[in-house]
Amino acid sequence: MTSTTAIDDVTCLGCGCACDDVRVVVEAGRIVGVQNACALGAGWFGDSEVPSRITVDGCDATLDDAIAAASTRLRAAARPLVYLGLSISCEAQRAGVAVADILRARVDSVTSATTLPLVLAAQERGFASSTLGEIRNRADVVVFWGVDVERRYPRFASRYVPEPIGTHVPDGRRGRRVIAIDVGAAQSTVADVDHRFTVPPAAELAVLTALQALARESSSIRAIPPDGDAPWPVARAIAAHLLSGRYVALVFDAEPDERAVRSPQRFDAILALSQALNERTRGAAVGLRAGGNRSGADSVFTAHTGFPVGVDFERGIPRFDPYGGSTRATDVALVIGDASLIPRPVADTLAGVQLVVIGPRASESPLGSATVTIDTGVAGIHSAGTAFRVDDVPLSLRAPLRDRLSAADVISSLARHVAMARRQTSRTERASAR
Amino acid sequence: MTELRIAGGRVHDPANGVDGDVHDICIADGRIVDAVSPRAPRLDARGMVVMPGGVDIHSHVASGAVNIARRLLPEHHVGSPAPDLLDDAAIPRSGSGGIVPTTFTTGYRYAGLGYTTVFDAAVAPIMARSAHAQFDDTPIVDGGFFVLLGNDEYLLRLIDAGERERAREYVAWILGATGGYGIKLVNPGGVELWKRGARERTELDTPLGSSRVTPRTILETLTDAAIALGLPHAAHIHCNNLGVPGNADTTLGTMRALDGRRAHFTHLQFHSYARAPDGGWRSGARAIIEYVNAHSTITADVGQVMFGHAATLTADAPVEYLLHRSSGRKWANLDIELETGCGVVPHEYKDRNAVAALQWAIGLELFLLASDPWRVVLSTDHPNGGSFMSYPALIRLLMDRGYRDDQLKRVEPRLLAGSALSDGLEREYTMSEIAIVTRAAPARILGLRDKGHLGIGADADVTIYAANADRATMFSTPRYVVKRGELVVEEGELRRAPTGRRLHVRPAFDARITRDLAGYFDRFGTVRFANYPIGDLRDAPAPLAAPAGDR
Repeated sequence: MTSTTAIDDVTCLGCGCACDDVRVVVEAGRIVGVQNACALGAGWFGDSEVPSRITVDGCDATLDDAIAAASTRLRAAARPLVYLGLSISCEAQRAGVAVADILRARVDSVTSATTLPLVLAAQERGFASSTLGEIRNRADVVVFWGVDVERRYPRFASRYVPEPIGTHVPDGRRGRRVIAIDVGAAQSTVADVDHRFTVPPAAELAVLTALQALARESSSIRAIPPDGDAPWPVARAIAAHLLSGRYVALVFDAEPDERAVRSPQRFDAILALSQALNERTRGAAVGLRAGGNRSGADSVFTAHTGFPVGVDFERGIPRFDPYGGSTRATDVALVIGDASLIPRPVADTLAGVQLVVIGPRASESPLGSATVTIDTGVAGIHSAGTAFRVDDVPLSLRAPLRDRLSAADVISSLARHVAMARRQTSRTERASAR
Repeated sequence: MTELRIAGGRVHDPANGVDGDVHDICIADGRIVDAVSPRAPRLDARGMVVMPGGVDIHSHVASGAVNIARRLLPEHHVGSPAPDLLDDAAIPRSGSGGIVPTTFTTGYRYAGLGYTTVFDAAVAPIMARSAHAQFDDTPIVDGGFFVLLGNDEYLLRLIDAGERERAREYVAWILGATGGYGIKLVNPGGVELWKRGARERTELDTPLGSSRVTPRTILETLTDAAIALGLPHAAHIHCNNLGVPGNADTTLGTMRALDGRRAHFTHLQFHSYARAPDGGWRSGARAIIEYVNAHSTITADVGQVMFGHAATLTADAPVEYLLHRSSGRKWANLDIELETGCGVVPHEYKDRNAVAALQWAIGLELFLLASDPWRVVLSTDHPNGGSFMSYPALIRLLMDRGYRDDQLKRVEPRLLAGSALSDGLEREYTMSEIAIVTRAAPARILGLRDKGHLGIGADADVTIYAANADRATMFSTPRYVVKRGELVVEEGELRRAPTGRRLHVRPAFDARITRDLAGYFDRFGTVRFANYPIGDLRDAPAPLAAPAGDR
C-alpha cells in the first residue's frame, strides 16, 4: 500500500514571485500533485524526478572521488569560471562564490544574461521600490508597464496586486485604479484594467522621461501647451492617474522579453521615475523576474564581493567585470545549478570547455564536455534552504522529498576541499623556498 | 584543554575594578579562569595594555539595508579591495572594503581592531533570514541584531485596541521567530506616516489614524515590553525627527515620556540639534546630556560623526528622502511590507561644511559632558556617522585634548556658537574610561554577562595593545586579539577566523497570540505564517531576567 502525504506551505520557484503557499502531494517518493500553484509552478515541481548519477569522465564515481576530481581539475585551470545557474538555494550560491574566491576564478550568475542593465542602473542611481506585500497592502494606483503578467507571473495579480485586500486597501481591487501600458507588442496582460494606453517602443524613453518631469512638476512643464507634440499627450494622461494615487505601484518586467527592446536607458528612466513619484505622492517601482532564485545570487554576490554580478577573483580580490564574467574565454568551468536552464550565450561560451557540473540533472547536461557531473536535487523540492523572492524577501524552502543530494552540501564540500588543497600547496611552496 | 596565559600586561578591566594593574589573565577552554597549568602557552604582554574584546552596541553590518548600501557603492568597493589575509583559516576569503565592507571583510576588520562582539541595530523582521546569513558569513565576531518594531502594523493595531499585554506577547513571539536580541524603534510611527505620504515632522502625540496610536504610546508599549519580558537589553530607541534642527526638544520629550523606564537612546548626536532664532542649526547637546546625566535609567550611544565618507542607511526612510533632496546623491528606498521602511544615501562629512562641523562638535560635547561613562558609550552608528574603522581616531579625540583642539581649529566654525566644545572642554578620557565606553559599558547595557570584562567565567575575548602615546595608532593595531580563547590576531596580523556565535533571545509567549497572528498573516501577509519563523539557531538563546510585573 502506498501512502500519500500532503506537505503544505511549500515555496515555489517557478517564477520570481515565489509563492510559498503551495500544497505538494507526495506518493511513493514522487510528487503526484500540486495545489495552489499556477501552470509555471506545476511545471517547476513536475513529478520531481531527477537523476542521481555521479560521473567522472563518463564513468560512475563516488561522491568523494567526484569532489576530489572536480577540485583537481578546477585548481589546474589557468582561467577558471564558476557559474551560478538556477534552482539552487542561497546556501549553494554562498558556497559557490566561496569556491570562486579560493580558486581565484571568475564568477557570474544568470543575472548578467537576463537583467544586467537594470542592475547597473540601480547601482548608479538607486531606486524607490518596495516589497510585494507593501504594494498589496498600500497601492491604490497600479501601473503595469509592458509586462506579460498572465504568462510570466500568473499568480501576481491574485497574490499581490491588484486583487487582494490590503491593510490600507480594504476594498481590494475596487479600491485600486489599474492602468495598463502596452509598449508596442509588449502588452500588459492584466485582466480588468481601468485604463489602457499604448506607447510606441520608439517613444517609450521619451514618455518615461516626460512622466518623470511631470512628477517633479517644474514650472517649465506647466508652460507646455496641453495639446503639444508627442510624448506629452500620452504622458499627461498617464501622469494624471499616477499623481492621483496615495501610493503608486509601477510594475515592470526586469528581464528581457522577446516582445520588446530593453535598453539600459529604459531601466534608468524607470528607476528615475520611481524616485520622482515620491516628490508629490508615494511610489515604488517593482521589477519582476523569472524563477529559480535569481535575485538570491545578486544578494549573495553583493554580500561577499560588493558587486551584484560578474566578479573576477584572478588577482585575489573581487574585481567588477559585469560584461565579461561568463562570456570571456575560460578553460575549466564549474556550473552550479540546473544545466538545462543556462542562458544561450553562456552555453555557447561553455561549448568545448572542460566542465564540472553540479546541480539538478547534471548528468544529463546538454552543455559541452562535462568531465565531472554530480546530480543533486532541486532546491525547494529535494533540499531545504533559503531563496529570495524577486523583492529580496528571503523565504524558507521546504523539501517535500529528501532522497537526493543537496547542492549546497556538495558545493560546501568542494569549497573545503579546494581550500585545503590550496593551503597544502602554499605550505609545500614555502617549505621548498626554505 | 586549550589553555593560555597572558602574562605581565597592564590590565584594564573596569567592570572588576581593575585599572592598569599588572597581572596575568588565564584562559582555559574559551573562558577566563583563575589559574592554568604551568605548561600552558604564555603570551608575553609586558608593557602592553590588556582589555576585554570590544563590544559594538550599534552598527549596521548584516541586514537587507546593509546589502542595499553595498550594492549602491561600487565606487567605494573598487577603490578598496580587501585580499584574504589569512593563512590558517578554514576557507580564507577576500572581499571589498570601503565604507560598507563585505561580510567576511567586516568580520576580519572588526577583529583586527580588537572588537569581538557586534550588534546590527536594525533588522526588519521579514528580512531576518538575510541578517542571519550575513552574520554566518561575518567571521570571528559574535553577533546579534535588534528587530524593527516601532512601525509594525500589527503592533499598531494592538495599541489601537488598547491591548498592550498582547503587544508584549507579540514582541516575545517575533523576537523568537526572527532570532533577534532586542527591540528597536526607529522614528516610531514616523516611518508609517511616511508610507502614508506625510512629509512633515512627527511629534510625540502625532496620531496615526487613531489618537490612541502615537509615537508616545508606541514608545511606552515597547519600552514596557522589553522590561516585562526581562530582555537583556532595554528598548533601543532612535527618536523621531532625526537630523532636523530643533529635534533636541523631541529627544527630551521622548526621554520625559519614558521617565523612570529603562531605555537606550541611540546615536544621540543625530538627535541633539537646537534651532537657532533664524531656524537654522545649533548645538542642543548640553540640554540633552544634562538630562541623561541626571536620569540613571537612561543609557545612550553617541553616534559620532567623523569627517570623510559615510553611507547613511536607516529604517528612517523619510530622512533619506530629505537627504537625497538636499545632497542630490543617489538614493534607494525600500518600503517593507507591514513592518518598516528602509533608505540609503551615500554621504560625505566635510570639515569645511558648517553642518558637518556642528555634528562633529555635538558628538564630542556629548562625550565630554557625560558624567557617567557606563551610560554613554561609543558609536559612530557605522556607517552613518563614519566607519567603525574610525573608532581609533575617535578615541584619540577623546583622550588627547591637544589633538582635539587642533582639529577644532580646522573645522568650519560658523554654526559652533553656543557649542561647549568651542568654549574649551578640557576633559581627556582615561584609559579606563575608554575601556568602559568601548567594551565594559556596552556589554553591561546589552546585558551580556560574560562579555566586556575579564572576571572568572567571562568569555575569553581579550585585546592586547602595544602602548603608544598616539592613541589612534595604538587602538587601530592591537598586537594580539583572543576570541573565545583562540588567538586570532598575532603580532598585529590576522591569523585565524573562527566562526562567531549568534546572540539572540527566545522569550516565552502566550500561544493565543499566534492564533490571531495566523489570521492576520492570512489576510495581509505574503509570507505564510508557518514559513515566517527562521527556525532553530545553532547557539542557545541568551538567558532572560526573572519575570517582571504580572508575568
